[in-house]
Amino acid sequence: MQLLHAAVPLKRLLMLTSLAVAPIGAEAQQTAVVRGTVRDAATGQALEDARVGAQGSAHTVATDAAGRYTLTGIAAGQVVVRVQRFGYRAAADTLTLAPGDSVAADFALRPSALHMKPVVVTAGKRSQLLDQVVTSVALVQDSELARRAVNTVDEAVDKAPGVQFLNGQVNIRGSTGYVQGLGARVLLLVDGVPANQGDRGGINWDMLPVDQVERVEIVKGAGSALYGSAALGGVVNLITRDIPTGLHARVRTTGGYYANPPDTIWRFRDYIGAQEGLDVTGSYGGDAVRASLTAGGRHSDGYREQDRSDYWEVVGKGEWLPSATSHLHLIGSWASNQYQAPLLWCEHGQCDDRGQSYQPFMIDRSQAGAHTRSDKGLFAATLEHTVSPRESWLARGSWLRTDFTDFRSPTTDFGVANRYGAEMRGLVRPTAGRVVTVGAEGALSDVTSNIFHDHGQDEFAAYAESEQRLGSARMTAGARVDYIAVDGGGLSAVVSPRVGLVLPGAGGTLFWRVSAGRGFRAPSLAEQFVETALGPFTVAPNPSLGPETAWSLEVGNAAQFGTMVRTDAALFWTEASDLIEPTIQLTVDPATGATTQQIQFQNLQRARLAGLDVALYAFPFTPHLSTSLAYTLLYTREFAHDTVPAQPLAFRPRHLLTLAADYAWGGFNLGADFRYTSRFERVELYPPTDPQVAPKVLDLRAGYQRDALSVRLLVANALNYLYNLAPQTLAPVRTVTMTLTWTY
Amino acid sequence: MRRRAFAALLALVLNVACNGGLEPIPVCAKGFVGICGTVTFQGTEPDSTQAVYIVAYHTFPHSRDSLFTFQPSLLLLQKLPLDSSAAFYAVSLPAGRYEWVVAVWVKQGFTLENADSTLRETGYYRDPADASQPGVVNVSAQTEGIDFVIDFGRMHRPCSYYTPPCP
Repeated sequence: MQLLHAAVPLKRLLMLTSLAVAPIGAEAQQTAVVRGTVRDAATGQALEDARVGAQGSAHTVATDAAGRYTLTGIAAGQVVVRVQRFGYRAAADTLTLAPGDSVAADFALRPSALHMKPVVVTAGKRSQLLDQVVTSVALVQDSELARRAVNTVDEAVDKAPGVQFLNGQVNIRGSTGYVQGLGARVLLLVDGVPANQGDRGGINWDMLPVDQVERVEIVKGAGSALYGSAALGGVVNLITRDIPTGLHARVRTTGGYYANPPDTIWRFRDYIGAQEGLDVTGSYGGDAVRASLTAGGRHSDGYREQDRSDYWEVVGKGEWLPSATSHLHLIGSWASNQYQAPLLWCEHGQCDDRGQSYQPFMIDRSQAGAHTRSDKGLFAATLEHTVSPRESWLARGSWLRTDFTDFRSPTTDFGVANRYGAEMRGLVRPTAGRVVTVGAEGALSDVTSNIFHDHGQDEFAAYAESEQRLGSARMTAGARVDYIAVDGGGLSAVVSPRVGLVLPGAGGTLFWRVSAGRGFRAPSLAEQFVETALGPFTVAPNPSLGPETAWSLEVGNAAQFGTMVRTDAALFWTEASDLIEPTIQLTVDPATGATTQQIQFQNLQRARLAGLDVALYAFPFTPHLSTSLAYTLLYTREFAHDTVPAQPLAFRPRHLLTLAADYAWGGFNLGADFRYTSRFERVELYPPTDPQVAPKVLDLRAGYQRDALSVRLLVANALNYLYNLAPQTLAPVRTVTMTLTWTY
Repeated sequence: MRRRAFAALLALVLNVACNGGLEPIPVCAKGFVGICGTVTFQGTEPDSTQAVYIVAYHTFPHSRDSLFTFQPSLLLLQKLPLDSSAAFYAVSLPAGRYEWVVAVWVKQGFTLENADSTLRETGYYRDPADASQPGVVNVSAQTEGIDFVIDFGRMHRPCSYYTPPCP
């Protein structure tokens, strides 16, 4: 017998806490099924990826593109089913289930950006409400990814407040600058698994197709107290999509073109450059086993001379749920990218310059034919087990492999790196209001390369952090100790403590947060051992390079003003020591007297990064219109040492401003982003004649979604504003992209 | 009021965004001192080509001793791009009078000692009134329109211009 139960939207706003649902009433021996749809209460539009949780399962399911969900294996009895989706108020319903029932429960969620309390998992290595986190966290949700119609993960992260990309290198509050991909002060995680390259320490943003990413969590400030090296400037966690229940398919195809140079004297081809891509996903979600497989590829003609690229990827995910308290999660991805290397743009005399001082769309002829093949793979297995409501643990193993070959004149450079990682983590709630996270990590890295040579690095770490509730406040304290050995040498230890406090104001509309901690980053194997030529420079190794460290302080405030405005602001201050930066040295051969310019990574004595990070979200005219403003003021200073005077750190903008607006009506959506970046106060390694402008980039987008089909149009850099952030490297020109997504 | 604020914000954004960006910067822009022009290539570029440079002489070189008295200095020489049928060039020169603006072909293996056999005159700027004669160029600021032909099929050794002529 089927009992159909038409659920009504719950008007009372329920606190958004965990989606784990507590049973009400006695447990039954037999199970029932709850299924239904989740829709937007205002438009009636189906909501994809809403999370639905019910009694009898420690897991949640995600709704599909038609808003459908199915919860199976629920113990009979009285059950509360809750639904949560970013941008909407949560809803819940209490159902009475008899054994064998199949109950329909539909939900209609009311849009709300003001009452949402999203859950994040990165800041504390556990699920936390966003307003209970001691550091600043920026979120990029799947709805935002879809709305922006971006094609790569870095394009999605680039628009987050306080985040800036510099030719593929991510900067969080000016953390990294631009060091040609050698070393990043930001740690990339894929579902919590560290994924920075084993040799260069950099990040491959094309490791995952953007369509596989459900949301991105960006933790700003030093994260070394939990994550160790590389998290000096922050952590970016790519969280992949849940596998929905049932049999599903998803097809995402993109096509687009690049604008030609606006000035005919810069024209470099007689056709319009195009790009196209296709991703296909198939998945099956059962009660105990779930799996998905994605395959795809894309091609781009590029927007510059010698800028073609081809990309292929395969991503597989698997889940095994042997019981309600255990969860095995597997992920494997492999991506291969073959791309021409445009390197630096052509300056007068280096190409057919047509009488111009520089030709930003053309390359130096001496670089003709340069191309790269880059393969990268990540495999990880994570087992989670809930021992009791107070205790749970997690065990994880991972393997990251990167393999690149640079085909360039006069030599071909290559590097193969492996990083084997393991982690054990426990979560204990010994008393009410107290949460303790403890864990241990290990990683073995090796590299085989003609420019980095053959080296290995071992890392071992232990960490612990405790959160104690004190009245309405939450206090956090913890530390991590890392042991690092290069080439089997002696272990060097680094301790990274962190303390934090979250203090709610009256009425639950104001939260203060304060945190102070020490971060560090061990030099990458590449920074220590690189030996190559870079234009007129030789790059020399520095095996004695030591870890860089930083003390960071942050004071933040999140506030809600009425029903129209929400703000988040933070003052941050970082005092860095032994910062690893490339330095230029003039060396003189004593025998010949010949001088050469040499680049070497060295530990600078001291540097400071301080500033203000402000984000404002508002619904100024109508609930259909959402707007946001994000501004970062950044002050950087490298203190004087030796013969170097005090000066700004290179490649850091003083001002970073992002404005966004979206208007949604029914299935339609119109939106725009505007990003202003002030000129760098200092660049290095390149001639000061390099023209620089302050980038002002406007993106326009439009979309329509109806049931399982969505169409998105993105006009990136709509004004075709030409600019460069990395020296002699033209940033993307106007690009028009159409994306079609169909979900079954 | 809200609409006005929104319109003002939109106008500000568009104004800021439409302003600036990278723009072409001609080598021969104001402030440049030297000669600029277009060379047109004829004939087949020899396989043994190391480079082609454009240089200028204050006085026509009539002896080997004056062969290396050209401007700009050796360190500032820029190779001409040879991968198209014509190329724009700009050569920074000190202000003054130049009797011979010439394209010099350099053979692979060039040294100062074997200059007689590894250098060739491969074209020069001609007097607009008498194409059989070199054109005189007076440089005070940017001097444009110094166009001429580089003919790889009609190259001459330096000694062709000496007295006595080449052995």
